Amino acid sequence: MSANTVTANTRIVGAAKSGLAFQKAFLAIILVVLVMAVSQLFPATRNNFFTEANFINVLKSASIFIILAMGETIVLIGGGVDLSIGGMMAFSGVVVILLMNAGVPIPVAIALALLVGLGVGAINALISVYQRAEPFIITLGMGIVLTGAGQQLTNARPVSSKVPAFADIANFKILGPIPLLVVVMIAVVAVTYWVLRNTSFGRNVYAIGGDAEVAKYSGINVRRTKATTYLICGLLAALGGVMLASQLNSASSIAGDSTALYVVCAVVVGGTSVAGGLGGAIKSLIGLLLLGLLTNAFNMLQVDSYVAYLPTALLGVIIVSILWLDSFTRKRRREAV
Amino acid sequence: MSAVTQPLEARRSVSQTVGNFLRDNPIYVAIVGLVVVTSIVEPKFLTYSNFDNIIRSAGTLIFAALGMTFVIMAGFLDLSIGGIISLVAVVTVTLIDRVGQGPAILIGLTVGIVCGLINSGLILSSGALTQAESLFITFGMSLVYGAVALMYVQGVTQFLTYSESDISIFNAINSGTIGFLSVFTAMAVIAFVILFIIERRTYMGRAVVLTGGNKIAARLAGVPISKSIVMIYAISGLLSAIGAVVLVSRVTLADPTMGTPYMTQAILAVVVGGTALAGGRGSVLWTVVGTFLLVLLNNCLNLLGVSSYVQFMIWGIILITVIWLDTVKQARVRG
Repeated sequence: MSANTVTANTRIVGAAKSGLAFQKAFLAIILVVLVMAVSQLFPATRNNFFTEANFINVLKSASIFIILAMGETIVLIGGGVDLSIGGMMAFSGVVVILLMNAGVPIPVAIALALLVGLGVGAINALISVYQRAEPFIITLGMGIVLTGAGQQLTNARPVSSKVPAFADIANFKILGPIPLLVVVMIAVVAVTYWVLRNTSFGRNVYAIGGDAEVAKYSGINVRRTKATTYLICGLLAALGGVMLASQLNSASSIAGDSTALYVVCAVVVGGTSVAGGLGGAIKSLIGLLLLGLLTNAFNMLQVDSYVAYLPTALLGVIIVSILWLDSFTRKRRREAV
Repeated sequence: MSAVTQPLEARRSVSQTVGNFLRDNPIYVAIVGLVVVTSIVEPKFLTYSNFDNIIRSAGTLIFAALGMTFVIMAGFLDLSIGGIISLVAVVTVTLIDRVGQGPAILIGLTVGIVCGLINSGLILSSGALTQAESLFITFGMSLVYGAVALMYVQGVTQFLTYSESDISIFNAINSGTIGFLSVFTAMAVIAFVILFIIERRTYMGRAVVLTGGNKIAARLAGVPISKSIVMIYAISGLLSAIGAVVLVSRVTLADPTMGTPYMTQAILAVVVGGTALAGGRGSVLWTVVGTFLLVLLNNCLNLLGVSSYVQFMIWGIILITVIWLDTVKQARVRG
């Protein structure tokens, strides 16, 4: 009897989950078809969109966001959220450029910037995990603090690097037209995928995101696991900032203003739930690439100023509809179980 | 004997009450301390013109924060107010020469309410019950409203360059007086009194607080959750729209991105006042206090010559500290 009930419940949850995956995939296909159709409609984009150069361009501009998104994915799966990644990215870029300009060797400067990322992740973890404060607002506040600190250090002006070798880190071409930045991004995705799939830490993250109480009674150290997710997220946000600074060979304290919410939305578009327990590295990769492709396609359509702001509006509509679907599916699942 | 002990006990309980208050509201204490320091260091602080300046700079923020209070009390968030303020500002200013200033303002306020209704419609239809869901949905809508504002004026800032009689309402809001009160202060007081009555004296006000306390329990107890969600977002939209009109009057222009900073500032004002971010506990009265504390803080730091970037950092630190202390306090209350 009880075995039957369990099977029935599993089946309902399983059906709801595959329903969710189906709807997401369906939506993604519609989006891609839409992009392709729209881009073929206008003479200006007909020739440019489906070119190797353009796809590499999309990949390059999405790479930084994808590095950030991997950390955010781990935090979201664990049932938290980190909105400080935009501020962290901008701040670590400023730190690395200022240190190098002050004569610190490149590897030391990068290591220090990554350490700052770990430190900020530790503060986020301390307040939102160990003190159980609301992570949205704590990390939002942390983002504001980091942006302000970056502005104070640079007088809110972009700072350019005086060390030309630093630019090679992101821009060095290793495989034909593919720069090192893309390789770093792929490595980060691969490691995240492996950690989430094949390590006990990864399984624990899914468990605490699914139900923290159950995870606790199963013997998982919930606090330490959750704190680790924030540390990873801070580290990867700092890495993203270093790569961005290297790509542009300069840094701006306000570079990350809307980054955090964009990345979270893209991660959710990919299929990671804001409620925790569901998601994955590849899903987030797809979400980020989809939004990157969409933005790219819309940017190509900037024929006059009226249309110039249409991409943002459409991006908002798409984000809202996918988040709406995410909540709606969860509501149906609640009602089913 | 008892005559000797009673005053002692009374004295102790007063000091305990003061001690508890200091412990529970360190932000109030810190900002009042800053005000004292500023008034000693910088005599300009205690002048009438500075006082006037403080009241005025509460402008848009107080309306946006009053609207946000109900949303947060019900356990939700509204990140779309930045987009709503931008949209209402450009709609109102561009409509003045087509339909006249009165109708333009009315249309602007209607746009605000409609935006709020759209938000609540999305949240209700998706069955979103958590703060996180409302946060992301309203953030997405903020992008939409902001982009519509940009498209509507094609990214161009609109100036209030009309003849004096065409914009008399805006001038009145900016500099007019009713008796000894400025028009702006009167508007803020009226908005506050209406919201305070809704909060304390109406069924819907209690429904909002109960929704924030525990949504499932509230629903089972027959509290009209859907109605309160529609109401809080409509109120938030309307008050953001009023804030937009005040902002336009003050700076005499409408920029399609001018609303963006108010999103975090309004949340900050609400939580600094003492309303619990988790919902279920709070008051528009506290929000008024919170708004003035923030404006005072800003004014003091300006007079003390602190750079605007450091001020920005301080806002972030205050946001973190307030939420942190509130969490610690809640944990103590629960035991």
